[in-house]
Amino acid sequence: MSRDKADVLYGTLSMLILKTLAAMGTLHGYAIARRIEQISGDQLTLKQGTLYPALVRLEQEGWITPKWGASETGRRVKFYAITAAGRRQLEAEEAEWQRAAGIVRRFTKLSGDEA
Amino acid sequence: MKRLMWRIVALFRRARITEDVNEEISAHLEFATADYVARGLSPEDARRAALRSFGGVSQAKQKYQESVAFPLIEDLLRDSLYAVRGLRRNPGVALVAVATIALAIAANTALFSLVDPLMFRDLPVRDPAGLVEFTFQFPRDPPLNSFSLANYAGYRDDNHVFSDIFGFAPLVTRARPGDEPIAAEVVTGNFFQGLGVRTALGRLLEPSDDQPGGPATAVLSWSYWQLRFHGDARVLGTSIDIEDTRAPAPMHATVVGVAADGFTGVVVGYPSDVWASLSTVPDAMRSRGEFSLMARLKPGVSITQARAEMRVLDRARIEALAKRDPQWLGVPIDVTSARTGLSTPLKRQFGGPLYLLLAMVGGVLLLACVNIGGLLLARGAARQQEMAVRISLGAGRVRIVRQVLTESLILALLGGILGFIGARIGATILMRLLIAGTRAPGQTPSLHVPLDARILGFTVAITLIAALLFGILPALTTCVSSPVPPLRPAVGAPRRTRRLFGDGLVIAQVAISVALLSVSQLSIAHLRHLRDRSLGFDRDRVLLVSVNVLPTRTRDQLLALYGEVMPRLQAIADVRAVAASATTPIAPGAASRFLRAEGFDEPAQGRRRVAMNWVSPNYFATYRTSLLAGRDFRDGDIAQPRRVIINQAVARHYFADRDPIGRHVWLENDPDPYEIVGVAADAKYQEVRDPAPPTVYTFAPIVRGSTTFSLRTDATPTATAADARRAVEKVFGPDSVRGVTTLTEQVDSALVPERLLALLGGYFGAAGALLAAIGLYGLLAYTVARRTAEIGVRMALGASLGDIVWMVVRHALLLVLTGIAVGLPAAFWGKRVAGTLVDHLTAGGTVPIVVGASALLAVAVLAAYPPVRRATRVDPIIALRAD
Repeated sequence: MSRDKADVLYGTLSMLILKTLAAMGTLHGYAIARRIEQISGDQLTLKQGTLYPALVRLEQEGWITPKWGASETGRRVKFYAITAAGRRQLEAEEAEWQRAAGIVRRFTKLSGDEA
Repeated sequence: MKRLMWRIVALFRRARITEDVNEEISAHLEFATADYVARGLSPEDARRAALRSFGGVSQAKQKYQESVAFPLIEDLLRDSLYAVRGLRRNPGVALVAVATIALAIAANTALFSLVDPLMFRDLPVRDPAGLVEFTFQFPRDPPLNSFSLANYAGYRDDNHVFSDIFGFAPLVTRARPGDEPIAAEVVTGNFFQGLGVRTALGRLLEPSDDQPGGPATAVLSWSYWQLRFHGDARVLGTSIDIEDTRAPAPMHATVVGVAADGFTGVVVGYPSDVWASLSTVPDAMRSRGEFSLMARLKPGVSITQARAEMRVLDRARIEALAKRDPQWLGVPIDVTSARTGLSTPLKRQFGGPLYLLLAMVGGVLLLACVNIGGLLLARGAARQQEMAVRISLGAGRVRIVRQVLTESLILALLGGILGFIGARIGATILMRLLIAGTRAPGQTPSLHVPLDARILGFTVAITLIAALLFGILPALTTCVSSPVPPLRPAVGAPRRTRRLFGDGLVIAQVAISVALLSVSQLSIAHLRHLRDRSLGFDRDRVLLVSVNVLPTRTRDQLLALYGEVMPRLQAIADVRAVAASATTPIAPGAASRFLRAEGFDEPAQGRRRVAMNWVSPNYFATYRTSLLAGRDFRDGDIAQPRRVIINQAVARHYFADRDPIGRHVWLENDPDPYEIVGVAADAKYQEVRDPAPPTVYTFAPIVRGSTTFSLRTDATPTATAADARRAVEKVFGPDSVRGVTTLTEQVDSALVPERLLALLGGYFGAAGALLAAIGLYGLLAYTVARRTAEIGVRMALGASLGDIVWMVVRHALLLVLTGIAVGLPAAFWGKRVAGTLVDHLTAGGTVPIVVGASALLAVAVLAAYPPVRRATRVDPIIALRAD
């Protein structure tokens, strides 16, 4: 799969998912989606359909593990939990984000001064 | 890695995973709907809102599945099925495309399977890149690798640059007395070690096998062991005969081992079946320079370094030789790479022409690809609506491109399979042609058309390249086509981009084929020049009968034989002139002597050899070589045989501004002078490619050993062959005739590389022109068909037939002339490249290129004719009703 813009978005998405799972423990897909939207203060309208491919990718990387179970309403759903490798990945990604965000921040300041 | 494993597993659990996905997504939607209901929406609205916030359900599923498994493989299968269906719907296009690509691939593969074993393949030994051979080369002669065992021992013991030096010389052996003789080599004991050949059975020869007087030992090749001994291990310890013309009696050698499968010696084209140890060699052979020497470079030593060291080491040999003949001082030893085997006449003569043919056949493949590209493009135009529908229905552009490429891949694969089969047949025929053209007397090369991973890999590679080449343009134009306009019914002229692509493809085809035709014309002109224009004699209708003459005959006996045979030969019907000579032009046998001429002083070192022939009266009349001054030999010269006729080259060099008639020359090892009685025009001697050498013709009716009678006939020369043979046998005895051939055959057999080049080059040029013509025809026919309505309108508005014809012809001319304009620089460039590959190929100048371009123009006119005719037949009424 090519590394196009969508992929970069996945990258962010996967960090959000990992963060959510790290904070909330085991969740099913819809719950993850809702949680991400809530935490972003509904600033981020997630196209919820894109969540599932991202979940598969994380599962393939071994960062999350799936498990079928029953929801509070008794419906059969797939639950996801973060793994140890997932936590390491999350740390790495967060650090990377901090660094990138820092750089961008410095740039926006710079242009502001000059304007 | 982890993901790959995951996907492989997923590939087999497809149904289960799809089910899981559906389940997960429907659960998600249920939760979302419930949420919306809880926020106060009606169930229907909640469901809709849930779907909206989810995005495209089917896209998500597809994305999901793509990341789960190998969509590529699965799509490929689906695309393939679809493509096959599409091709079957339009079998004409598919058939033409497959046939074109199959022919191109067949030609490429056939040629490659010829060139590869001869020129490219490394010897099947350890680290072939480290192998070198030793050669020396007299000016204008091919390089020789020929040394004595004493030279070998000297180089081996004194050098610092080689880890091993080893050598071999040809021999004749028989497995058992009375068997057919087989090709064998006597090798130094370190031959196998130095090369790094593996052992299949027993042991290979070792340095200890070199001891003079030691036990004679031999090693068999794998294929010979299989063929003759059926792979029986009991062959070890059996005895085989080693024969050599120089040895008084056959020697027996004990078989001690079998070399690994695939190793047949180091001379490509002349495989060896038996390798015998040095102890089998007669003493006489040890001192003679008959061994070919090879060496393995020490790690880190370059060929240049090795050459420098060998030049120093070799000084003693050169100085010893130079005492006898100072020319040796100008012939230093050379060290050249032998990774693909020793350099042989086979490689030298065929190398350049084969490379050139390979380049040409590559051009044909390119042309075929462009041609098919145009075909698919036209078909793609017809399918534009289909593609537009698919794009509007949401098919990704990448998917569509992949679909189109899959189609071309399937076409190419079909062509590749057919081409591979065709190449096997073609290569076998070519190989036979090539082998027929090597004239090392007594040694017929044996080269097999290999069928292995290399050849297969080559075919697969060019098939894939072809698929990409002819698929990419149709795929891209599909991609740029926007969905909307084609959905409306097509009206009038085709869209501009597509038309430009089509025009561009035809121009490209014309350009490539101009270059191809030009080079093919060059090779044809080259052959014609060598075969007809520059010989100095008339090769047509001369029969050659060579006869063994006992060396014990006295001069009087020879004269008697001459007096008896000549009238008999002359009496044969249709025979116009008869002559006898020691050798004939372009025959393998040759003789040369140093010449000293009256009134011409030169230092001993500068002396030149002149070619020699011993001829009877009428020799020049028979060969139609004109006498420029003086007279021919006549029967009266028998009483005074010390007379010679020289050719123009001798006259020019030794008697620049003087009349040579009546002057004298001296020949090497002969103290008495010869008187010059005539000057003949220059004629080629042994080598058909070289200019006529300085030649001296000595008077001698019949020569001991071998004499050839040349009969110029009025009819086909072979018609007189039986009579001539009978007449000669009556005089010289039964079985005295060594061979009967014609002068044409003799010349042609020396020109096989050039004939191969001219023949195949001619085919490739013609194939190129045909492809370009088909491409042009296709485009014009398509354009006329698309513009039928427009033509109808024009006619209805009063355009004359001439206007309509001009409209189509102008288009055709524009394409062809642009193509020629682009192709001419390519043709000149091709000419330069061809000239570096084949000597004297460019002697024909620019005429062949002009011929090539004109031929193409003529072909183009023919190709344009049917579409033009169709355009003039358009009936305005029908054309206007069509839409």
